[in-house]
Amino acid sequence: MNRIPVWFDTDMGVDDAAALLVLNRLETVEVVGISAVAGNVELFHTYDNVRKVCRLIGSAAPVFRGADRPLFKELEIAAYVHGADGLGGAVLPPSEAPEQPLAAWDALYQAARAAEGRLEIVAVGPLTNLAIAFGKYPKLKDLVKRILIMGGAAQGGNVTPSAEFNIYVDPHAAQMVFKSGVPVVMCGLDVTEKAYLTRAEVEETGGRDTPVCRFFRDSTRELVKYHEDWGNPGLVLHDVCPVLFLEHPEIFRGQEAGVYVETRGTITTGKTVTDLWSDKEFPEKNAFVVLDVDRPAFVRLVRDAILVY
Amino acid sequence: MSEEKKIPILLDGDPGHDDAIAWMLAKASPALDIRCVTSCAGNQTIEKTTYNAQRVCTLLGITAPIAMGRPRPLLADPITAGNVHGQTGLDGPRLPEPGMELSPLGAVELMARTVRESESPVTIVSTGPQTNVAALLLAHPELKSKIGRISLMGGGIAYGNWTPAAEFNILVDPEAARTVFSSGIPVQMAGLDVTERALIFPEDFQRIRAVGNQVARVVADWLEFFYQFHRSIGYAGAPLHDPCAVASLLHPELFTMQDLYVEVETEGEYCRGATVGDLRGKTGHAPNARCLMDVDRQGFVDLLVEAVQTYDGWEVRV
Repeated sequence: MNRIPVWFDTDMGVDDAAALLVLNRLETVEVVGISAVAGNVELFHTYDNVRKVCRLIGSAAPVFRGADRPLFKELEIAAYVHGADGLGGAVLPPSEAPEQPLAAWDALYQAARAAEGRLEIVAVGPLTNLAIAFGKYPKLKDLVKRILIMGGAAQGGNVTPSAEFNIYVDPHAAQMVFKSGVPVVMCGLDVTEKAYLTRAEVEETGGRDTPVCRFFRDSTRELVKYHEDWGNPGLVLHDVCPVLFLEHPEIFRGQEAGVYVETRGTITTGKTVTDLWSDKEFPEKNAFVVLDVDRPAFVRLVRDAILVY
Repeated sequence: MSEEKKIPILLDGDPGHDDAIAWMLAKASPALDIRCVTSCAGNQTIEKTTYNAQRVCTLLGITAPIAMGRPRPLLADPITAGNVHGQTGLDGPRLPEPGMELSPLGAVELMARTVRESESPVTIVSTGPQTNVAALLLAHPELKSKIGRISLMGGGIAYGNWTPAAEFNILVDPEAARTVFSSGIPVQMAGLDVTERALIFPEDFQRIRAVGNQVARVVADWLEFFYQFHRSIGYAGAPLHDPCAVASLLHPELFTMQDLYVEVETEGEYCRGATVGDLRGKTGHAPNARCLMDVDRQGFVDLLVEAVQTYDGWEVRV
C-alpha cells in the first residue's frame, strides 16, 4: 500500500503525545521520521518524551534532536501547562532505541529527498527546525508537498492578545515557513479550541486497561483541570487537529488565505495576520486556514485511535 | 428630554458619506447638543473634508462653530480614501454652499474652549482619524476630567479593512489612536466588528427616500452612492460605519457591547494600526474601551428613518 510519507515535528507536551498516538494509527500514513524541538518544555525533555512515547506505541520511526532554542529569541516554555517534563507527570519507561546521530534538519532533508516530492510535514511546535532546514537546504521547498501546522490564530491569541504559543515562541521561524513557498495548512486556535474532549470523553477514551490508555489518562489529568480553569469545556487537543486533517479533511472547514507573521510589532509580534476578512488581500494565498471542526467526529476518531492500542 | 439634560457633544470627523449621516443622526436627536464641529484629514484632504463639513452642517442646520483640523496625522504621512468617497470626499448629490464662516480658531483650540466652557462633561464623537482628539488630549491634559467619553468609529477587534490587520481611521494615525485609547477617558469603539454588520440595502434607502424631505433625499443618495461602491468590492450592502458611533450613544440597547482592554499597535511589518483587544484578560489591564460587537440591524435602520423624519419642513437652498 502506498502510504503518505509524513514527518512529525514536535515539542512534545501532552497534546503532542496524543497527536502521535493518533498519527501512529492512521492507515494512509507512514511516519518516516520525527524531530524534537524546544517549546512546551526544553529540548532534552521533548526529545526524551518522543522516544518514550514511540516505545510505548511500538513505533520504529527514527527520532532526531532539533533546535534547543528559537532562531533569534530566548526560549519561553509552557511547563505551567504541560508539567515540568512535558508529559503532565505521566511516567513512561525510557527508550532503548539507539540515538540518531543526524540533526533534525539534515534528517528531514534526507527524508524529503527519499520521498521524491511526496513528503508532508506535520509540525505541532515552534517552527524552528523547519526554518533551519529551509535555510540550509534551498531545494527543500520543492521536495515538500505540504506543511500542516498547529499554530497561530486568525483571531486572538493565548499567550498575548495577538499571539498563539507556538508562533509566539519563534515568530521568525514561523514567518520563514509561511514564506517558504510550500503550502501551509494552518490549524490555529480558531479550530483547535473547538477540538476538545469533555471530562467524560477523556475518561472514555482512556477507558481500557492498556498501557496507552493508562498513559493517556495519566498525562492528561492535570491538563484537563488547567483547561477547565481557563474556561474551556474540557481537554483541548490542539495538536491532534493537523494530524487528523491528513486523513480526515472532511471533518474540518476552512478557507484559503494569505497568512504572514508579524515579527516587528510592539504588542503584536507572533500574530498570524490573515486576509480572510479584510478588503485588502495579500498577493498570494499561501495557506489554508482551518476554522472549524465537526467535534463529534473528531472525538470519535481520537477515541477509536487510542482505544485500539 | 429637557434642555439642560442634553449631552453636550463635539463632532470631529472627515466627511465622508458615513460621517455626514452620523452627524444627521446627532442633529436629529433631542438628547444631544452639538457644541462644536471640527474637521480632520482622512477620507480626503483637510481642505475637502472641511468644505464638506461646512456644507453638511449647512444642509442639516447645525449652527455650532466649525473649525479646521490638522492637515496631517501627528507623525505619519497622510492617506486618503478617494476610492471610497470620491474626489470631493462626498461625491453624489448636490449640496448647499457653506452658510457659515469657519472659526478663526484651529480645531484643537475650538475643542479646548468648548470643553472648558461646558457646564457638564462632554462626549466627543470622533468618526475620522483620531488626530485632533489626540492633539487635544496631549495639549490639554487638564481637560480630560471634563471629557466623559469618546465615542469613535475605528479599528476592529477581529480584523482590518485597509490592511489585513488595520482599519482605515486607525491606520491613518495610529499614534493618535494610541493616545486616545491610553488616555484614561472611557472609549466607546465602533469598529469593523459592528460596522460591517450595520449594512444598508436598497430597500432601506428607498424607505429613507420615501420620507420625502430634502435631508431624506440627500441621505438616500449618499447611501446609494455608498452602496454601489461597496457592492463593487464585494460587500452585500453598505456598511454604515460612522453612524454606529452616534447610534450607540442614543440607543445602546441596539448594540451588543463588550468591555475590553484595547491597545493600538504603532509598529510592525503587518500590524501597524491594529486595535488589539485583550479578549482573554492576558494583559492584566482593566478594560479601557466598550467595544460594539453586534447590532440589531433593523432597529438601526428604523432609527435612521426616524431621524430623517425630524427634518420635515426644513429645506435649504442648493
